[in-house]
Parts: sequence; structure tokens; C-alpha cells
Amino acid sequence: MNRKLSLLALPYAVWLFLLVVIPILIMAVYAFTTSESVATLENFTDMGIYASVFVRSFRLAAVATLICLLIGYPAAYFMAGEGPGFQRVALALIMLPMWMNFLLRTYSWMSILENNGLLNQLFQKIGLFSLLNSVTGQEIQAFQMLRTPGAVTLGMVYNYLPFMILPIYSVILKLDRNLLEAARDLGADSVQVFLRVILPLSLPGVLSGVTMVFVPSVSTFAISRLLGGGTQMMLGDLIEQQFLGGAYNPHLGAAISMVMMIIVVLCMALMNHFGEGEEQAVML
Amino acid sequence: MRQNRRTGSRFLIGLVFLFLYAPIALLIIFSFNEGDSSAVWRGFSLHWYQSMLHNRLIVESVYMTLLVSLLATLISTLAGTFAAIGLYSLPRRRRDALLTVNNIPMMNADIVTGVSLCLFFVAFFQLWGGFARWFNGVQSAVVLPTRLTLGLGTLLLAHIAFNIPYVILNVAPKLRQMDRNLMDAAQDLGCTWMQAFWKVMLPEIKPGIISGALIAFTMSIDDFVISYFTAGSSTSTLAMTIYGMTKRRVTPEINAVSTLLFLTVLVLLVIVNVGEIRQERRKNAPAARKEPIGERLRRFFATRTGRYVQWGLVAAAAVCFVVTVSFLTTETQSIPVVNVCSWGEYIDADLIDQFEAETGIRVNYQTAESNETMYSLLKSGGADYDVIVPSDYMIAQLIEEDMLSELNYDNIPNFALIDPRFRNLSYDPENKYTVPYTWSTLGIIYNPTMVDGPVTSWGALYDERNAGKVLLINNSRDAIGEALMYLGYSVNTTDESEIRAAYRVLDEASRRGVFQGKVMDEVFQTMEGGNAAIASYYAGDYLSMLENNEDLRYVIPEEGANWFVDAMCVLKDAPHMEEAEAWINFIASTEANLANMDYIRYASPNSEALEQYPAYYEELYGEEMPPELYDIMVTPPDVLARCEMYENTPPDTRALYNRLWIQLGI
Repeated sequence: MNRKLSLLALPYAVWLFLLVVIPILIMAVYAFTTSESVATLENFTDMGIYASVFVRSFRLAAVATLICLLIGYPAAYFMAGEGPGFQRVALALIMLPMWMNFLLRTYSWMSILENNGLLNQLFQKIGLFSLLNSVTGQEIQAFQMLRTPGAVTLGMVYNYLPFMILPIYSVILKLDRNLLEAARDLGADSVQVFLRVILPLSLPGVLSGVTMVFVPSVSTFAISRLLGGGTQMMLGDLIEQQFLGGAYNPHLGAAISMVMMIIVVLCMALMNHFGEGEEQAVML
Repeated sequence: MRQNRRTGSRFLIGLVFLFLYAPIALLIIFSFNEGDSSAVWRGFSLHWYQSMLHNRLIVESVYMTLLVSLLATLISTLAGTFAAIGLYSLPRRRRDALLTVNNIPMMNADIVTGVSLCLFFVAFFQLWGGFARWFNGVQSAVVLPTRLTLGLGTLLLAHIAFNIPYVILNVAPKLRQMDRNLMDAAQDLGCTWMQAFWKVMLPEIKPGIISGALIAFTMSIDDFVISYFTAGSSTSTLAMTIYGMTKRRVTPEINAVSTLLFLTVLVLLVIVNVGEIRQERRKNAPAARKEPIGERLRRFFATRTGRYVQWGLVAAAAVCFVVTVSFLTTETQSIPVVNVCSWGEYIDADLIDQFEAETGIRVNYQTAESNETMYSLLKSGGADYDVIVPSDYMIAQLIEEDMLSELNYDNIPNFALIDPRFRNLSYDPENKYTVPYTWSTLGIIYNPTMVDGPVTSWGALYDERNAGKVLLINNSRDAIGEALMYLGYSVNTTDESEIRAAYRVLDEASRRGVFQGKVMDEVFQTMEGGNAAIASYYAGDYLSMLENNEDLRYVIPEEGANWFVDAMCVLKDAPHMEEAEAWINFIASTEANLANMDYIRYASPNSEALEQYPAYYEELYGEEMPPELYDIMVTPPDVLARCEMYENTPPDTRALYNRLWIQLGI
């Protein structure tokens, strides 16, 4: 029977080869050639000038991931401690925003953060600017919030926070409650229980959350385009520019994609080395 | 103490939800706005809900999104389930190898998946083109299409490709939990393999299948990046449509559509949850805190409400299927079509309806952001346009690269109406490829309430006193061209040192924080809302902005400016040549030019339209057009004499522009 069943895997193996392996190989071919199809390493050696984009992308994505973790972990932890009714509603409410397109939600932040946007209007109304101006002697009419690194980070946190909460939540939920009781019986106070039992055991959830926030953050181009206003170029923007943007050069774009892919895979491998990352996405 | 902690934790969770839902609430509220702003409330109205049904772009993209998501979910759930079963009967080592490959699309950034698939499809199309030409040559019984483009097919393949791993990931644990002897036992007891599969295996793994399908559907609906790279130009999902709109202004119709989708899901969730709670109460069962969603769904479908919902879903699927089939068949029926690509908000949309009613030719009207992005789209094989409307220098480049086809002017009698001033221009000296669409100038738009004194020079864009208040135009030719003009050089210089000098002007201003951002059509919102003081943009668009913000001023700087012509041309090997020429002829007519001039506020190259426009305006608005505005729209000859037109530059110079442009951004 098994042999017959294993035949079912064959079409999928072919599919994987066609739509996963070959595309990446083609991308590699592009990365190592010029537009005249001559083999070259130029695309990689020229990449030095983009170092600052790499640094910015990884820095903003790391900050966003950290913030997501700092908000998401306690939120998931507290959620898991609530009653089943509360949990059910909370879980649904965390998934629900995904049904409103993320570009639209990000766009909504634009009208909040603009110089004449809702937040600045609010500051104006409560007299924050007149207070500040009388103290510092400056003439501030609005905070420049949109088109700053902070706005891009906010966009990432906003969009990917659910991806941090969900895996942590589901890991904490599956914790064996007897372990906690045992720890308490053995004299651990609640801080110790958390630090020495709950935290280590929830690490797989944390790792998977970190992956699910970091990877899309580091490669985004829509968020940086909308909230960064072209001033916060990220790796995603750089790649998009070479393919469908204003500086057509798919060979360089493919090379940058390759390098980004390799760095991300290395990061993730390193991280999973420390945790036991067997199951990657524990979304539900 | 304990009570306090609970309040504290709920407070935190509450804050998280406030953070997640504040922008959503805002979107929903503004879908009921009377006005079209997303920041200023003008009173309650439902009219956006009404007008969204008439917005073809929105209706079609919602339809496309649902179609692709449903089909991709269906196919990937089936394929993924069988693949998972197959994988789990493989020896461990081979299974792990395949699972590693299976995880690649999930581990990879979306953009890498999208880009690699895009390159793959394009490479395949090239191979196919060669094969089809050879095949059509050796036999004549079957004619294969030689030109394939990105579209619904590639979009669907891409969605299936990224969905299957999620299905496998959800089905696999159920297979692992299942007792393998069960299948053998069932067969020993006389079941055929199929029966054993239906009666034993399927019920065991059903929760995994359901939750896999749900995740796949959600992923498909929410995906933007992969679709963006694989859908090509003529297929647009809701996310892609929204992305296109965010550059200019998102119409509240999108808010309305999204609100409806959102509420539908909300209602479904409420029904599921209520049904479940009711059932729990009845059974008085202990709380199902550890149950996965799939399991809960399965139980829900067993209740009475659940059965209704189940039938509802089946009916919905059937309707979708019928609609799909009818859609695909009507698509393949030969309704004449013409694919047009132009800039955003660059046509009076009534003209499209009018043309369709008159000729029965269906117009697929698409937009690109700038000449450079359109060029990328053409080169990357994603575009299947017939008619494009690029600017002068880009036309010259396209002609040089042999990408345009010569027009048959016998089919375009309205070409005779084009003013001689706009014929045989440098980009198309013998006028074999183009029919001018509009012409205008690139100047400075500023808000006098936000800057000191009148702006007269390009230098204002780089002036430290305007730090944080300037918007730089987001395309290399215009941005570097402005700096060249500021320095007194020609915009068409090929001298590397001059171009580098212009780059340094931009770079320095950028380092000193002069630029608030780089924008194309985002300039409308930003300048209209008083969020920036100075920008450079096109005269026609200035006149549109003026309608929403009366403070704004337009100036042709003392150093001179750029004037440009955008012209219609047809791509080489365009599949709908005849329809394309019919469209061009229609648009070149005096009536269409008048309507366009009034709607987009760019000057027309049609001599009759130019002459008649003031009277047309007076008749329409009951007053004379202010002469200073007419002069901005139709640049007078003495001002035009100070303006230079872009010309095509050699490939080296273009490469330098690209390199410097990217460098400026980093």
C-alpha cells in the first residue's frame, strides 16, 4: 500500500522542482550574467554602494521585530491566561484585520501621521504645540512623522504584530499546566516560574514569531514606499526598482535578491540552531 | 492583587486591539464620508457604496481577487492533501528532503518568490515562443500562440505554489497522529482502497484539510507582493488596484468595498462562534480551549446552523464555478479588445464608455507611474499592451530599441487635426510611429503661505531654508533634469561631469534634509493638504490641484523649464492593431480632445480643440476661463521658447542616470 501511496508524492516533487527550484536557479543565472548574457561577478562586486540600504533594512526590521516581541509576548501570555470565551473572541479579533487589505490599513496610517493629519490636529487641539513653542521658543506647527524611519517601523509593527502573537499564544496554550504546578510546589515564586519554565518552553513560539515578523519586514517595499515616502529605501524597494520600478536592471535585482535570501536563511538557521525549530509556522 | 493583575493584563490586550483597529475604524468611518477625503469629514452619506458598483476597475479587481483566491484554494487544498499523503508514505530521508524544499516558499521573503517566479515565467514564454514558431512552421493543422504574457494563468500558478506548503503543513500533523494500522484494518475488512480512504482516512485528517484551506484562502486574499510580480499588467487583484491608488488618492469606494468584505467575514465569524457556544451549552461540555480551529469548525458544521452555512458555502462555490466558466468562455470568445496603458487620471473616463458604445471594442485601460516604470514593465515581459502613451524621450528610446510598430495613418484620419507644431518632433522626426496626446510643461508648484517670498528659481527645491518642505519628483529624468537646468546645463547633456554635478546638487540637498520625500502622483494629496510647501510637477496637474487648494501657485523658473509631449504609439507585434488604430483615431478627435482637456487640464495638440477650448469652458462653467490659468495650461510661445524638450540619450548616459538615481535613494 505504501508504495502505491508514495506515487502521490511524485507529481508534487515535479511541481516543487518546476516552481520552486528552477525559478531560484534562473534567478541565480540572472545574478551572474549581464544584459548581454556574459557571465560576470559585477552584480555582486557593485553591491558595496548599497551597503547602507542593507544596514537600514536589517536595522529597521530588527527594531520592528523587537517591538513586536515586547508587545506581542505579554499580550499572548495574558491572552492565554483568560477564560475560553475571551480567548475565542480575542483570537478572532487578531486574525480579523488580515481581511482588510494591508495596503489599505497602511494607507490609513498616512492620514493619521501626515503633517496636517489626525494626530497633528489632535496635538494642535490640546495645545501641545503652543506649549512646546512657548517653552522652547521655536515655531513648530506639526511633527514630521510621515516619511521618517519611525513611520516605517510603525507600519511593520502594525502589519506583522499578529504574526508574533499567534505562534507565541498557541505555544503557551499547549504548555503542560502540571509543570507550572510542579515548579510552584518545588518552591519557585511566580517570577521564577515564568523565567525558568514558561519562557524556555515558549521559545519555539517566539522563534517562529520572530521569523514571521522579520522576514516580511526586511523585504517590504510597499510599507516603506507608503510611510517612508521614498526617503527610506529598503531592500525590497531596491529590488522592486530593478524589476518594475524606475531603474530597470533585473540582473542586479536578482543579485540583490540572492544576497538577501542567503543572509535571511543564515539568520534563521542560526536562530533555529539555538531553539529546536522543528515546526516552523504554528499559526493556529 | 489578583484582580489588579487581571485588569492590567486586559488593559494591555485592549491597547493592542486599539492599535490594531484604530486605522480600520477610520477606514470604515470614511467609507460613509460625503466628501472624498480620508481626513476631513463632510457629513454622512452612502453614495460611495452605490458608486463602487459602477467603478469597473474595482468591480473587476474584486472579482479577480475572489476568483483567484477560490480557485487557488480549491486546487492547492486538493493537491496539498494528496501530496501530504504521498509524502508521509515515503521513507523518512526522502520525505525530509522534499519537506525542506516545500518550506522554501514559506521561509523566503515574498519578494524573492515573486521575482523568481516572474523570471521563470518570462524564460518559459521565450522558450515557448521559439517552440511555437517552429511548430507552426512544420505543420499547419494546429496554430499555437507564439506570444504568451503574464496574466490570470501565471497569477493562479503563483498562488497555488505558495498555498500548497500551508496546506501540507496543516494536513501533515493529522497524518502523523493517525494510526496507520487503521487503513490496513479497513482494507482487511473488505474495503477497497478508495473506500478506506473516504471512510477512514478522510474523517481523520479533515480538520487539518479545513484549516489548511482556510489559511490558504486568507493568504491568497491578503497577498500583494507575489501577485504584483506575476500578474502582469492586464490582470489586477484588489491589492494591486489599491497599491496603484495609494499613489494618488484612494477613492472611498475602496473603503466601501473593503468594509463590506470585512463585515462579511465578521458576520461569518460571529455565526460560527455563536453556533458553537450554543452547542456547547446544550452539551454542557467543558470549554474547548485546546481545540484547534479546524476541529471547532468541524463540530460547528455538524450543528443545524452549521448545516445551513455549509449548504450556503456549497451554493456559493457552485455559483463561483458557473461564473468562472462563463467568464472564461466569454473571454475566449472574440470580443474585440484593445489594451491601453497611460498615466493615472490621464483620461476622461467617459470617453472609454463612449468609445466602447460606438465601436463595440472593449478597452482595458491600465496605468503606469512613470516612463521608467512603464519601460521596466515592457522589458520584464509583464505587459500585454497595444497602445501606450509615453513621453517624447521614452518614445525615441523605444523606437531605437525597435519596440514600436509603424502606424497606418490612413486609419487615423484625425491625425490631420494635429497642429503642425506637434508633428515631426525630434523624437519621431518622420512621424511614423506617434499621434500626440497632450503637451505641457514641468515647473514648480508652491504654496505661498508656507514659504517666504515668491519662488522663481529651481534653486528653491534645494534651498536649506525650505528644509523638510520640498517634494522631489520621483523619476530620474525629471529630477536630474531640474538640477541640470538649475546649473545652467542642457537637459540633454551627455557630459558625465555635468550630470554628476547635477547629482551632487540633489545629493547635498538630500543630505541636508531639504526633501520631505520623493513623490509622483502622491504629490496631489500632499500639496493639496498643505503637507509640503514646494514640489515640481506638470502644469496640467497643477490646475487639478488648484481645484482643491486655491493657495497653490505654478511657476516656470527663470532658468527655463522642460516642455514635453506625450504621444500614443502602438507596440511592435501588438495583437490588436486594428482596434488600437481605431482607439487612437477616436482619442485624436476634436470632441475627445476637448473633453480630455477639460478633465485632465493638459493642453491638447489638436488645433481645433486648442482654438475652441475657451468657448467650451465658458459654455460649461458659465464664466470665462481666467487668462492666467489658460496661459498655464496652454503655454504661450514666448514662454515655450525658454523651455527645452528632453531627447533620447545614449545608453551609457541612461545607465549613468539609473545608477545615480538609485544612489540618491540610499
